Amino acid sequence: MRTQTYKTTYADLVALTPHSSNWAWALIGLLVVASAPLLLGSHGLNILSAIFVMAIGILGLNLLTGVTGQISLGHAGFLLIGAYAQAILTTDYHLPAWLAIFVSGLVAAAASLVVGVPSLRLKGLYLAITTLAFTFIVRHMVLFAEKITRGSEGMAVAPLNLFGYSVKSDMPFFYVALAMLVLFVLMTLNIMRSRIGRAWLAVRDHDIAARAMGINLMHYKLLAFMVSAFYTGVAGSLVALQTRYINVDTFSILISIEALAMIIVGGMGRVHGALLGTVLILLLPELLNFGFSIAGNRFTTLMADRIYEIKGLMYGVVILLFLRLEPEGLAGIWRKVKRFWVQWPLSQ
Amino acid sequence: MSYFLNLLMSGLVIGSLYGLISMGFAIVYRATGMVNFAVGEIMMLIAYISYNLAQIPGLGIAGLLLTTIPVSILLGLLIERVFIRPMLGEPMFARVMVSIGLAVVIRSTVILIWGVEPKAYPRPMGDEVIKFGELALYPGQIFSLVVMALLCLLMWAFFRHSRIGIAMRATSNNETTALLMGINVKRISAISWALSAVFAAFAGLSFCLMFSLEPEISQMGLRGFPASILGGLDSVIGGAFGGLVIGVAENLAGGYLGRGLKEIAGFVLIIIVLMVKPYGLFGQREIERV
Repeated sequence: MRTQTYKTTYADLVALTPHSSNWAWALIGLLVVASAPLLLGSHGLNILSAIFVMAIGILGLNLLTGVTGQISLGHAGFLLIGAYAQAILTTDYHLPAWLAIFVSGLVAAAASLVVGVPSLRLKGLYLAITTLAFTFIVRHMVLFAEKITRGSEGMAVAPLNLFGYSVKSDMPFFYVALAMLVLFVLMTLNIMRSRIGRAWLAVRDHDIAARAMGINLMHYKLLAFMVSAFYTGVAGSLVALQTRYINVDTFSILISIEALAMIIVGGMGRVHGALLGTVLILLLPELLNFGFSIAGNRFTTLMADRIYEIKGLMYGVVILLFLRLEPEGLAGIWRKVKRFWVQWPLSQ
Repeated sequence: MSYFLNLLMSGLVIGSLYGLISMGFAIVYRATGMVNFAVGEIMMLIAYISYNLAQIPGLGIAGLLLTTIPVSILLGLLIERVFIRPMLGEPMFARVMVSIGLAVVIRSTVILIWGVEPKAYPRPMGDEVIKFGELALYPGQIFSLVVMALLCLLMWAFFRHSRIGIAMRATSNNETTALLMGINVKRISAISWALSAVFAAFAGLSFCLMFSLEPEISQMGLRGFPASILGGLDSVIGGAFGGLVIGVAENLAGGYLGRGLKEIAGFVLIIIVLMVKPYGLFGQREIERV
């Protein structure tokens, strides 16, 4: 039986995983997820791909809000920028789609400086509202710069092309999204154990104290904004590649709130929390759909008419319940279950 | 000149709406130190309830006010008791997120009950334009301006001279110290939410008397943010002033620079202002200790 972890060297403290068995478990989990196409139809695969794509953006938001402690209501804006950058770069500038994914991330990161710079002087709520303002401004700029963005018409997006093979159908995209997610999870875990990750945690706990410890606040806050926006921009471009058509209305303010709901439900500042939160929140509408289809016809039509409101109601209720009952989120539940399991029969 | 004057006036009218909303923000912020992101939605809910109340024949504007305001006070108390009070003492982030969650829940519920179609709100004060020289104003617009001016004065006196107002300021400064000084923090929180709901009610009524009632009314909450930021989150009078400035700026930008700018002029303005004055124009600088 594995007992408590005792760290005896400094290297242990920054190791990627505390036990070598974690690698084995991660690999098994990955294999299970990768074999999903054997079981699921096209609808199921689409939902899973959407979860993977969203999870990349949520990892980014988590780095900014959960790890560095800067509340952002502006991530719908970064997602929008990423998606439009992908569409414009591939249609108008004929960049290869795989390259455009990363360039879109960089474009979003550059745009993040617009909010990042005021964030150096703003804190907490003032910052949250500035990021909200950013989303409004981005939406309007996209709507009114018709020459570049086609305004309210939206844009069609060329499919991804890998090694001469066009990723159009659900299954190849599923694997692309999964690969990207694995890449970004590894990246996040590695950032978190580096000097940068530790500095971000210090800024979250108390920024003035962190500064007194020799952490350059300007440097690290801007970096947090840029990295977070890069993640979200990449997620945006993947959204564009999945839906193949984008429009300003796809990226409403509700997305920013949904995203915050995901990190709260998952547990702030935890990588596995961000993943679990994304899965739960994105699966909720599906569960509801399923429940309603059992309940009968009358509910199904109600669901069809008011899907947007019912979804909103659900996110709201889930946020309220988690904040009230389990502030540590799913990551906290996971920790408690694990402790119970490992220490049984000694656990209370 | 008359074009400018009318733009200015309608800017002031819209600004008085923003001002009412941002005073609602400021009261909760002043008393509890949290931002209530649900103000727009509370306003929406009260507006829809008052729409149902206004269907009662022969109510008139006075009757409408006399029924809507008590309802809004009850609603404010209810929300505070059920959602906000259990979070007392939790980190600020969690409390703010509660208000965001609440906002989403209220908006969805209202749309599920009343639907998305615009509703024609009755006009208990008539619909004739009243002329002041070159200016032409509707009764609803005058109502909004007058209400804001009155509430502004009342609030200034309240925070300056009344016992509860001073207790509120103490609570916002430091909850624990206020508690040790014998202030009933729970009651202060309840009063501030009730007051904030009253402001939301006045804003909602003014909105309904000028426009028709539709779910977009909840957007006014978000549009009111620039006003409260500009004035400083903790300044009630600053919020009113910020509202007027933002309203005028939006209207002038929309009238002279192009229609698309109207929606975002306020947001652009506050990003610039915040870079120069991070606590708004009238906000108090927070002193932090490590």
